[in-house]
Parts: sequence; C-alpha cells; structure tokens
Amino acid sequence: MKQRIHVSVVLSVVVLLITACAAPPAAAPTAAPQGSGTTVLRVGTGDSGEGLTPHQQIIQNFEDQNKDLLVQLEPVAGRDYYARLLTQLAAKAAPDVMQIGDDAVPSFVKKGAFVSLDDCLKQGGVDLSIYLPGLLQPGQVNGKQYLLPKDYSTLAVYYNKKLFDAAGVPYPKEGWTWNDLLDVAQRLTKDTNNDGQPDQWGIQLPATWTTGFEYWVAAAGGRLISQDGKSFVGYMDSPETIRAVQFYADLYNKYKVAPPPADLAQFGGGNSEFDNGQAAMRLFGRWPQSGIKKNPNIDLGVVAPPQDKVRANVLFWGGFGVATTAKATEAACKFLSYYTGEQAAKVWKDWALPAVKSVAESSGLTKDPIEGVWIGELNHLVPRAYTFTPYWNETADPALRKALETVLLDPKADVAAALRQAAQDAQRALDEQLAKTK
Amino acid sequence: MTAIIAMPRLSPSRRREELTFYLFISPWLIGLVLFTLGPMLISLLVSFTEWDLLSDPAWIGTENYRRMLADPLFWQALKVTATYTAVYVPCELIGGLALALLVRPKLRGIRVFRTIFYLPSVLAGVAFVVVWIWLLNPRGGLVNLLLAQVGITGPRWLLDPNWTLVSLLLMSFWGWGRAMVIYLAGLQSIPGEFYEASAIDGAGGWRQLRHITLPLLTPTIFFNLILSIISTFQTFTSAFIATDGGPLDSTLFFVLYIYRKAFQFRDMGYAAALAWVLFGVVLLLTVLVFRTQRSWVYYGGERSE
Repeated sequence: MKQRIHVSVVLSVVVLLITACAAPPAAAPTAAPQGSGTTVLRVGTGDSGEGLTPHQQIIQNFEDQNKDLLVQLEPVAGRDYYARLLTQLAAKAAPDVMQIGDDAVPSFVKKGAFVSLDDCLKQGGVDLSIYLPGLLQPGQVNGKQYLLPKDYSTLAVYYNKKLFDAAGVPYPKEGWTWNDLLDVAQRLTKDTNNDGQPDQWGIQLPATWTTGFEYWVAAAGGRLISQDGKSFVGYMDSPETIRAVQFYADLYNKYKVAPPPADLAQFGGGNSEFDNGQAAMRLFGRWPQSGIKKNPNIDLGVVAPPQDKVRANVLFWGGFGVATTAKATEAACKFLSYYTGEQAAKVWKDWALPAVKSVAESSGLTKDPIEGVWIGELNHLVPRAYTFTPYWNETADPALRKALETVLLDPKADVAAALRQAAQDAQRALDEQLAKTK
Repeated sequence: MTAIIAMPRLSPSRRREELTFYLFISPWLIGLVLFTLGPMLISLLVSFTEWDLLSDPAWIGTENYRRMLADPLFWQALKVTATYTAVYVPCELIGGLALALLVRPKLRGIRVFRTIFYLPSVLAGVAFVVVWIWLLNPRGGLVNLLLAQVGITGPRWLLDPNWTLVSLLLMSFWGWGRAMVIYLAGLQSIPGEFYEASAIDGAGGWRQLRHITLPLLTPTIFFNLILSIISTFQTFTSAFIATDGGPLDSTLFFVLYIYRKAFQFRDMGYAAALAWVLFGVVLLLTVLVFRTQRSWVYYGGERSE
C-alpha cells in the first residue's frame, strides 16, 4: 500500500512535469481568455531603463483610447535583444510589433520577418508624409515600406564653450573644414603641467566605431561599397577612404589632439574627457546629450561635423514594424500608426528627436540652436553602407573595425596596407555569402 | 518515458521497485533528454545545415566543417583558447594548491581566510570583470597608478593586443578559490598519522609535502585538472564583457566566436559545427589526460588501473 502511494505521487509529479514542458513555451496570447473581445498586442524593444518611460506613457495613452486593445511591452536590454528576437521568430513566438535598428532592417526583411506596410497604408491611419526628410528610407527595402521611424540621430560635434572662451578660440561654425577642425583642436590641446602628456584635448573621437566612421569616408568623397553591393575592393581601399582613415588616425597619433581610446569594447571608445571638461569637442550622436546638458563642467554648443570634399552626414535610426507572425494584423497596424504618429511624437520628443515634422516644428526644436543642428543635418545625409548589402555586419564591419584598431593602436601602421587587407578580407567574406545564396 | 525502457523478466515486486526507481530519477532523466541530449543531437544535425534561424535550414553536408579549415578566425579562436588554457590551467592547479596549503592549518580564524579566498568564485563573473576593467584602465586605473609609484610605466592592458591575454589571466586569478576548496577536501582525507610517523623519522615540511601530501593528493589534482581544462576551454564572460574579442582578435575565445557566429551573424549551422569541434577538442584532451592517469595518480596507495 505504502509503495503504491509512492508510485502514484511520483507519477503525478512526472505527469505534471511533462505537461508543463509540453505547453507552448512563450504562451503567446493574442486574445485574452475571458472572451471579453480584448486583443493583446506584444511590442518588442531593445530599449531599457529610463528609455522605457516614453514607451509606457504612449502605450497608456493608446490603451485609454482603444479599450479593446491591450498592449504588452517586452523590453530586452543590451546585446541580447536581437538574439532573443531571432529565437522568438524561429519559434514563431515573436512580438507583434518589433523595434529594430537601421542596419538590421535589410536582413530581417529579407528573411520575411516583417510585413510590408502596403496593407496598413490602405487601411488608413498611416500617413507617410508626416516625417522629416530622410527618415523613411531606412525602413524601406526595394522601394517598399516595412518599418516606420521611432527615433534617430545624426552626427555632430559637441563643444564646450568654457574651454573655447578660456583659450580665446572662436566657436566652430557650420561650413568649417577638416583643416579648421585640426587647427581648432591643436589650439585647444594643452599640456598645462609640462609632463609631456596633454591635460586638455582638442577633440574626443569615437575610436573604432565603424558605423560612425562612415561619415569620415563620405566627407572625403569616398564610399565603402560599390553601388551594386558586390565590391569592397576598390572602395574600402580607395584613395578617399585612405585619406579619411589617415586623417582620423593622425588626429590621434600624429597631432595628438584626441585622447587615446580608454576601452575599445565600449561603444565610442569609453572616453570621458569631454564629460570631465578635459576635451574641448566631441564627435558623436545625440544619445548622451541630456546628460551633457546637465553636466556643470560643460557649457554646451553643437555644430555640424566639418566637411572635406563633401558636406556629409550619416543617420542612425530605430523603427517599428509589424511581424509576419502577428495574428491581429489590423490591430497591430492601428497601434503602429499611433506609435509612430503625431500624438506619440509629442511624447517621444522629450526623450529623443521627434520624427514627425509638425511636432518638431511646433515645439520649436527645428529653430533651437542645439536641436536645430541635429535635425538640420537630415538635409546632408549620404546612404549608409548597409543599404547596399544585407551582409554588411558579417563581412565589412569586422574588417573595417580591425583596420581602425590597427591604425589607432600602432602609430607606425601603414594605413593603405591596413585598408587593403580590410578590403580583401571583407571581399572574401562577401563573395562567400553571395555564393551561398545562389 | 519509462515504458520504453526495456526491462528483463522480473517478479512483480522487483518490477515495481524498478518502476519506482525510474520514476524517481525521471525528473532528472527527462531534463537530461529534453534540455541536454536533445539539443545536443539537434545541434549535430544543425551543424550539417545552413540555417539563419529565420528561414528553413538547408542541408549542406560537411560544408561547414570544410569552411572552417579556410577560416582564419577559426584558427585564431583556437589559438587564443589553447594559449590561454595552457597558461591558466597550470596556474590554477598550483595557485589553488598553494592557497589550500596556506589555509589548511587549523588556526583560530582560519575559516575567515578560507571564506575570503573562496568568495570571488561565487560572485557573478560580470561584476568583477567590470571592476577589473576599472582597475586596468591605462590612465586612471589603480594597477597602473601603483606601478607608477615604483617608477614603472604600466602597459595599456586591455587596449594592447600583446597584453590582453595577460590582463584576462590577471582577472581570472580570482577564480582560484574553486580549486582551493576541492584541494582542501582532498587534504582533509590524508590521515594525520602519516605526518606524525614521518616527523618521527625526521622528515621536514618540504619532504612531507613532496612525499606525502602530493602523492596522496594526486586524485584531487587529477580531478581539478580535468575540471579546469574543460571550464577554461569554455571561457566567455571576461572576453565578452572586457574586450569583446578585440583588439585585433587577440581575445577571440572559441565560445565567443561561436556566440558571435550564432547570434550576431545568424550562421547557426556554422556555429553548431564550431561547437562540435570544441566538444571534440575537449573530449580528446580529456581522454589524453585520462590516459596519463595511470602513471601519476594514486588511489589509496595503489596505482589506479
């Protein structure tokens, strides 16, 4: 008798375990169980921390207006976001509305992760004419719109007026050139205690940040990949690219106006000189700006990046699209158009640059001496390299990064040779990818 | 689950006992099959395919394994991992033993020291890697500030490809506590009479260590060696957090490369093939070490067979 009890208890535990494992893992609910007619929408984002506040606020507003829809935000922080999204997609349990970054768009769309927004557009509600210039292209593949803009940044040069005033150097102005940059940076680099090491630097640069580096290549009149997306050789090692890399490396190693990178594993090199009031300028995106504005060491000014042969800038972009696995497509469309529309932009604008033109204008941001610079840069965009090939990230990006590491870490490195090597490595990887897809 | 296990003809009571046995181990058995053996088998299949997670996998035979031979990063990852293992494993074996001998005497308060030395191994890896990143900062970092005090210009640690592995090695020494605890357990099992007898015969501390402690500790050393080889080949956290494989691929550990191929570049087939190669390498090394067991590991005074 006793033994029988044992067996039955264990048996029931086992059955429980098996059924628990057999249940669908993500339990993706598209409809609430009560039959109340409520549809649940899942939204995936890679934002975290404070960045989630506007999401929650907009979702709240949306739910207040749409009592039959329940929106569930699923944030995954950091580098794990795409990995998570991909496994969810493979398991057909992905969020209905997903946020991804610019360079992930071609590969996600190519693999059929997002629905084309044609149907959404027909359904009404989505209006493509409301956005600032240049903000729709990153969400397009082969002329079709798949994602709509959430936020974005261009590149610009932050400068600390305090250091400029102290040195009696006039503030940089739009239309300045690479030579001007070097000149200003040299005048602001100072060794105050004469130990042979600068205590104040001219400009803090973003180290081996490859996507940001596209600006330098474009400004020198070059490009990193051929128009047909098949060649790196002849582009990554062109005289223009060599000039860009040489100038960039010289700022670090020859003229020593840029503080050496502090941590290459960190986005932008991990330097803190600009924040500490020890660097007069900083080339970067808008992301750290709210912190910089509050920084007592800094009296902030922002200016367009300098030009060389070409007045160029590049766009960094995040957007939302509807997953092909979404069941309630109509509701997802409705939410998407709200999330990327005018009402939501009024919330986004307090956290990032708003994508909707009318909101940017009515809030005075386009005329603002700082925000106006970031937004105005949208008129000088050159297409990013990833728009020419879906394989940028696994082919050219590591090769370019390695070339930048080589020339930044070794002052004696031969720039042309490093880029030739990079172009060949990238080309070999790309040819392999192209051969595989045949 | 249990029904498919073939059972010999047994009396009803024995049979019930057998059934109970399997039922009791079944949670573990199911876990093993579902979460370890199953995925392993699937990964073996995946390694013969081209799969980006989003579209269906396509069978490409041994192509992934052939591609590896021509992949410079594969060789680099293997080189980095092997170099690191070759240096780290002896360090941990000797260092862990030294720590264990140090905290072995039953003195008042010795437990406090044991705890202190063991503590880092239970801390989250990420936390102390982050602390080490600060310590190793080439300018403001504590390590270089201390070196400057004695007139040495410290290297650029995590930024200099020649020093990155050394930096990671420095960080990993926090982990010696794990080996220490196992050694301590091994030391406890050595009978005190051996030391008393040898002391009467006039053996000093060094001779006792050489002729009593070490020989009797060989099973523990052997165990630590195997564990250490396996876990070092799987080094990931420090490289992922501190250097992301760079600069110039100088810290591209094998598991980091697998992760990158799988989740950054979505090349699941290739990543699975890499994982199986790693499995093969570790298995081979383990078998080799097991082979040497006979010549140097003693169990209860007799050589093991």
